[in-house]
Amino acid sequence: MRPASLLLIALLSFAFLPSGLIERAPAQEPPAPGGKDAAPLDDLEQTWHALNRLAFGPRPGDVERVAAMGWRTWFEEQLDPSSIEDPAIDTLLAARFPSLSMDLAQLWKTYYPRYPEGFAELPEEQRDRLQQNRNRQYAKVQQELHTSVLLRAATSERQFQEVMVDFWRNHFNIDQKKGFCRLLANHYESSVIRAHAFGRFEEMLLASARHPAMSIYLDNEISQKPLTKEELAVLDQIREKRMRDPNAMLGMVAQRIDRHRGLNENYARELMELHTLGVDNFYEQNDVRELARILTGWSHGWLGDAYESEYGFRFYPEVHDADRKTVLGKRYKGSTEEEGVLAIRRLASHPGTAEFISWKLCRYLVNDEPRRSLVERGAEAFRESKGHLPTVYRAIVLSPEFIDRTAYRAKYRSPFEFVVGALRATGARFAKVDDIGRRLARMGQPLYQCEDPTGYFDQTEAWLDPGVLVHRWDFALQLTLGEVDGVRIDAKVFDRWAKGPIEENRSAIIGSIVPGTMPERTAALLARAKTPRELVGLILGTPEFQKQ
Amino acid sequence: MTPNRRDFLKTSAVGVLGASAFPSPFVHALSKSADAADTRTLVVIYLRGGCDSLNVVVPYHDENYYAIRPTIGIAAPGTTDLPEGERAALPLTRGFGLHPAMQSLMPLWEQKLFAPIINVGSTHPTRSHFDAQDFMEWAAPGIKSIQEGWLNRYLQRTSTPNDHFLRGFSPQPLLPRALRGDYAVLAAPGPGSEVAIDTFAELYECEGKRGGTTVDPATTEEPPPAARGRRGKKEEIPERPPVTEEDLTGRLIDAGANTVTKLRHLNGILRGNEAAKKRYPRGGLGSQLADIAAVIKAGQPIEVAAVDYGGWDHHSYQGGSAGTQARMLKTLSDGIAAFVKDLGPARMKNVLVLTMTEFGRTAAENGNAGSDHGHGGFMLAVGGRVAGGRIHGKWTGLHPSKLNMRRDMPVHTDFRDVFAETLAGLYRFDWKSDDFFPGFDRPARQPLGFLREAEGSRG
Repeated sequence: MRPASLLLIALLSFAFLPSGLIERAPAQEPPAPGGKDAAPLDDLEQTWHALNRLAFGPRPGDVERVAAMGWRTWFEEQLDPSSIEDPAIDTLLAARFPSLSMDLAQLWKTYYPRYPEGFAELPEEQRDRLQQNRNRQYAKVQQELHTSVLLRAATSERQFQEVMVDFWRNHFNIDQKKGFCRLLANHYESSVIRAHAFGRFEEMLLASARHPAMSIYLDNEISQKPLTKEELAVLDQIREKRMRDPNAMLGMVAQRIDRHRGLNENYARELMELHTLGVDNFYEQNDVRELARILTGWSHGWLGDAYESEYGFRFYPEVHDADRKTVLGKRYKGSTEEEGVLAIRRLASHPGTAEFISWKLCRYLVNDEPRRSLVERGAEAFRESKGHLPTVYRAIVLSPEFIDRTAYRAKYRSPFEFVVGALRATGARFAKVDDIGRRLARMGQPLYQCEDPTGYFDQTEAWLDPGVLVHRWDFALQLTLGEVDGVRIDAKVFDRWAKGPIEENRSAIIGSIVPGTMPERTAALLARAKTPRELVGLILGTPEFQKQ
Repeated sequence: MTPNRRDFLKTSAVGVLGASAFPSPFVHALSKSADAADTRTLVVIYLRGGCDSLNVVVPYHDENYYAIRPTIGIAAPGTTDLPEGERAALPLTRGFGLHPAMQSLMPLWEQKLFAPIINVGSTHPTRSHFDAQDFMEWAAPGIKSIQEGWLNRYLQRTSTPNDHFLRGFSPQPLLPRALRGDYAVLAAPGPGSEVAIDTFAELYECEGKRGGTTVDPATTEEPPPAARGRRGKKEEIPERPPVTEEDLTGRLIDAGANTVTKLRHLNGILRGNEAAKKRYPRGGLGSQLADIAAVIKAGQPIEVAAVDYGGWDHHSYQGGSAGTQARMLKTLSDGIAAFVKDLGPARMKNVLVLTMTEFGRTAAENGNAGSDHGHGGFMLAVGGRVAGGRIHGKWTGLHPSKLNMRRDMPVHTDFRDVFAETLAGLYRFDWKSDDFFPGFDRPARQPLGFLREAEGSRG
């Protein structure tokens, strides 16, 4: 047995001794990579590491295939998703998920069809039918998004793309539950996240800033310059008018003033705090307000007649604050959207952004506590390439820190990563994802429904609640028993292990799903399984499968 | 590992890690405090989205109400000839009515177990959902550095080495913010199968007493290395060592052990409640309230439970007596009524249900038959100690000059005064000497009086 594996077993066995025997030394300075306790990863370990971090875990046969070509070669391929052939998923997407390639106007027309003129006067039966049709279509568009997200993550050959799309989906989080985000999320996923995840950060940032879904989610659509004194006087007049005549009609200007909601700083704040610089990094509260003023008027709508024209980003000059502003020491004065575009481009190229994005990426790909030296190198790659994301990904993944033993098996799978990893490990097939979706929600990660603009957290602590852990165990067992609705594992997945007694196949089965040797206690549990199917179910619920 | 502002842990996990200042409740998981029977329980239902108050506690006596709500206004009690599908408000008192969908709360009103609180809210002007919710749930308006929920804070300040793990509980996958913090609170979205727990139990049992194998307490207060001070001045933050596989394994074992013990205990309780659950309205809220009731009925020393009920952000098509808000109000009302009935009058003496929302909405309806983010809101208090059959809070009418910024309901009662009265009146907790509310320099001189025998704080 290789020395590295022996060492690994030794380390793991120590981990399972009762407490009191292990004293963890207080951290004084971080151990250098390749320190005396850390033998380098062997080739097999590196392959597993790549497949668990740069993909959502191996499918049957993946480890052998990637080991043969060398994971770095595989990774270089993965860095250019458009060069990877994947006819299966491409055909599927085109055939079953039309919403993903529609523009916004088409989405509205197809999945939220408008009612005909004179709708209110139609007989009730007809109105009901139209309403039901609309509800059905509306439900479909969400189903398409969820199904496609899971299908792609579980079955696409462009695995690293799926891994990075998941990162950016959280970084530029929107919550489908909010208003019409439910409809627009499909377009957001395609045109903001997928379109730019292997392009330039600045373009993704701008695309997110202009997208109607973001405008709705973070309330920028209702952000307006403050009312002038004259307009406040009009507001008083409106109130007086209404007291005399509750049904008084208002002119356009009066209507706008009546609906006025003032400056909304939500988006401006999250733009700096979550999307670019990071919390309180270089900016102050006043910068938030000034940026919000710049972004007044950034909203969305039909560019012409409703349902007859295009739908998308719209700038409303009448609510835009055209006075002078200063953000991060730079002066702005403008009455068009160009002012905001400039501010956003500047944020994208701010050194604080390079640092923050690099830190988040290092945490996602390498370790919950990434080394500062790695973060700095990633930031440098970001700066030098002007935010070219594949360059940054390469700098991080091809670093010594990525394949250092301290990174190996040291991250915890989020519910999404766990579920997708399990689906891949078992080669499961699925067409409907309602049940998977419900289970993900019980595990704490409902798809596209994170209410917090932070998106789902990446680090271990976020997912350890006892209340949600049990639902992973449920999923592990029920998946292999065929009790997850809509999901099927082909019998031959288990049948190939059925020749010969289970004792002879056990380590091969385990070895196809998790690397390394199982600790004694886990091995004892797994020894109870009488069939391959049972064994796989148990493996998926072990702590070993939760690690990546 | 403690986070920066937005990097905050969503869950109680710090308690799970055993690195917090509080003794891990796990070790004493099944101990009950001697006087569980005298346990006071607060059940918070958070209406997320900013629930409109004027259509819940309807000021039908005020002519301005109908002037500014021509479409969604609710008719005064006794109004006849209403269009089909519409109903009139239910009579409360003093010219105020209750939204007609909340019929199931009327018996509680008659029995003086139910009282609305009006024009209550935050002194902070924000109309951002995120901020307003944060501020209310941390009970620290305007202070972004506070990161713990007020309910978690209460649990911390009153913790003992023998704490039962069900002192705090939320039957949903994510703890509401008010319950998040260093004190471990169980978030359990449904029982999970016995089979799963039994299957994996032996992997984790007896491993659980590891504690302290994980985060070095000395590092828990520092922000991650990428955070800087103002204007980019790099602070000298020592780099934290990477998490290793060994660390992670330790945490997973701890978490698993916690799961086995706590869930087994909880599931035993919930399984006994299947029949009672059927008497609650269908859906998430009903199910969650049923679960909380089950824990109370099982004599657990549960002091704080909280659930979220979201979707109240009715910018459009809010509806008046019928419509979106109405349907949700019915669910809320029926859920609370079923809860009260399930527990029975004896238990309800020690239980307080409090609904709250981050802000109310504009007094006037907007152009889309809805209302926009406002300021002053409402709370509903239900329980045996409530001074029910009355409306608490101050009403100053709907004339624009009396509205906040001429558009929203005013805040005449700081929500912290309601929280303070709850802490003092329900728990007899001395929040004053505890300095419980950061930055709260103007508490009301007199309690609002929504709890009967509102006792002063424990001396």
